[in-house]
Amino acid sequence: MAAPTLLDRAAGLAGAAGAELLRRLQHVRLPGAGQASTTDDPGTAARRWRAVTVLRPPAEVGTGADLPAPLAALGERVEVRVTPAPGDRGSELAARFREPAGEEDLGRLRAALREAKQLLEVGEVLRVDPQPHGRRAGTPQGAALEGAAASAGKEGVL
Amino acid sequence: MRAATWTGVNEVSVETVPDPQILNDHDVILRVRRTTTCGSDLHLIGGYIPAMRAGDVLGHEFMGEVVEVGRGVRHRRVGDRVVVNSFVACGSCWYCRQELYSLCDNGNPNPGITEGLWGQSPGGCIGYSHAMGGYAGSHAEYVRVPYADVGAFVVPDEVSDDRALFASDAVSTGWTGADLAGTKPGDVVAVWGAGGVGQMAARAAMLLGAERVLVVDRVPERLAQVREHVGAGTIDYSQTDVLAELREATGGRGPDVCIEAVGMEAHSPGVHGVYDQVKQQLRLQTGRSSAVREAVLACRKGGSVFVLGVFAGLVDKFPLGAVMNKGLTLRGAQVHGQRYTPRILEHMARGELVTEHLATHVMPLEEAPRGYQLFKDKEDGCVRAVFTP
Repeated sequence: MAAPTLLDRAAGLAGAAGAELLRRLQHVRLPGAGQASTTDDPGTAARRWRAVTVLRPPAEVGTGADLPAPLAALGERVEVRVTPAPGDRGSELAARFREPAGEEDLGRLRAALREAKQLLEVGEVLRVDPQPHGRRAGTPQGAALEGAAASAGKEGVL
Repeated sequence: MRAATWTGVNEVSVETVPDPQILNDHDVILRVRRTTTCGSDLHLIGGYIPAMRAGDVLGHEFMGEVVEVGRGVRHRRVGDRVVVNSFVACGSCWYCRQELYSLCDNGNPNPGITEGLWGQSPGGCIGYSHAMGGYAGSHAEYVRVPYADVGAFVVPDEVSDDRALFASDAVSTGWTGADLAGTKPGDVVAVWGAGGVGQMAARAAMLLGAERVLVVDRVPERLAQVREHVGAGTIDYSQTDVLAELREATGGRGPDVCIEAVGMEAHSPGVHGVYDQVKQQLRLQTGRSSAVREAVLACRKGGSVFVLGVFAGLVDKFPLGAVMNKGLTLRGAQVHGQRYTPRILEHMARGELVTEHLATHVMPLEEAPRGYQLFKDKEDGCVRAVFTP
């Protein structure tokens, strides 16, 4: 195999490892690192409601096909609950899969909730790519970080 | 365009990189006129915050001229001379409406990284690693500013570029600490760290009515700046016992407000310093917190301790017993710059807040690697290296 192909493959593996590391971070049981679902088994964690609080009244959040597009795109696979948030904080927008869901599904749901919140509060989803940058050295650490950053919108405690 | 980039641990280069683009309707593009090194950059450069990718553009404290505006921008125009807050805040979420801008729910496009570490994600920060959003920094000829109506402030004509620059972060961070620590008229305030942020925390405390302000450091030139330009008293911790000095200065009570403006690479003499260095290098703690420890022990009963220096993870030997038994209020924050910048610019315009002395070394962007070396080593009296792209 040609050297550049090998390097590309190594970088791809490192990127995937970075994304996986980020995915696992929330399940790590170390003091101060990893905060969510640490005592849930994956099945229980997957069934939980995942929620964002949106500074908009419930009537503006919508229902069904009127939900913000990223959430509406998940269709009937998810059930959505919108309730008033206490203390004039707007609405609690929660969603969960009706059927057992895998990590990829949960990642899509996290990203959809975050994007829905941004659309409701700001009117657009914040982008960061493409950004100016200099020469990227092809190191495994760098590729792992890129993988983690690329998946960061789909991961976290949500 | 030319930009100063992080290329590896303790390596900064100047490279040719693509120009930034408008990516969102609320963006502007700025031609950078002044951009400065900040102590918190050293945590990135030294690898203490391992979320930098080789080639990332550094810099988060800057001002310049608007050259392009997104179609959703309402209050900024091409040609405006503006200073920009380092934290990216939408202005619309609950946190922004509470004026806790650095906690913005929508400012960090990479929330999964910091949520996993801290349980929640704060806002993003320009030029401050992929953990804080992955935004390209300001040590460049041009920089993209998201949510420009919220975070870019027009500089009054009476305020020079050199003065306005530090409203971006050093002054607004200092003001965040002094205000949220609860500084009020009559208070005695102690500040650990005489860098740009520490000096400005001291000045903010004075403008908020503190009766007496004392700044703790060991670098003679910085302590001299505190006395000459800030008007506060100083304590050289390499020459005296800080806790004893503070007891003497406060009738035995201790300061009402203690502001730590040092961060995760705190220096301390003696066995404690060696202990912290070894534990940090072995990755058994991520920060050296000697200044915070001293602040907690110095603070009067029922007083307030504010952690303003940057920490990323875990620290050791934290005197939690003193916090509890002395009834202290312990608080921390990144900078809520959008909350304080209008007031800061007014003080600057009236000559009540001067910052030009912080810029001890002004140089072209091409000399950024030398500027960071001077700044890191505190050589030649360097307090801040400022670049003029």
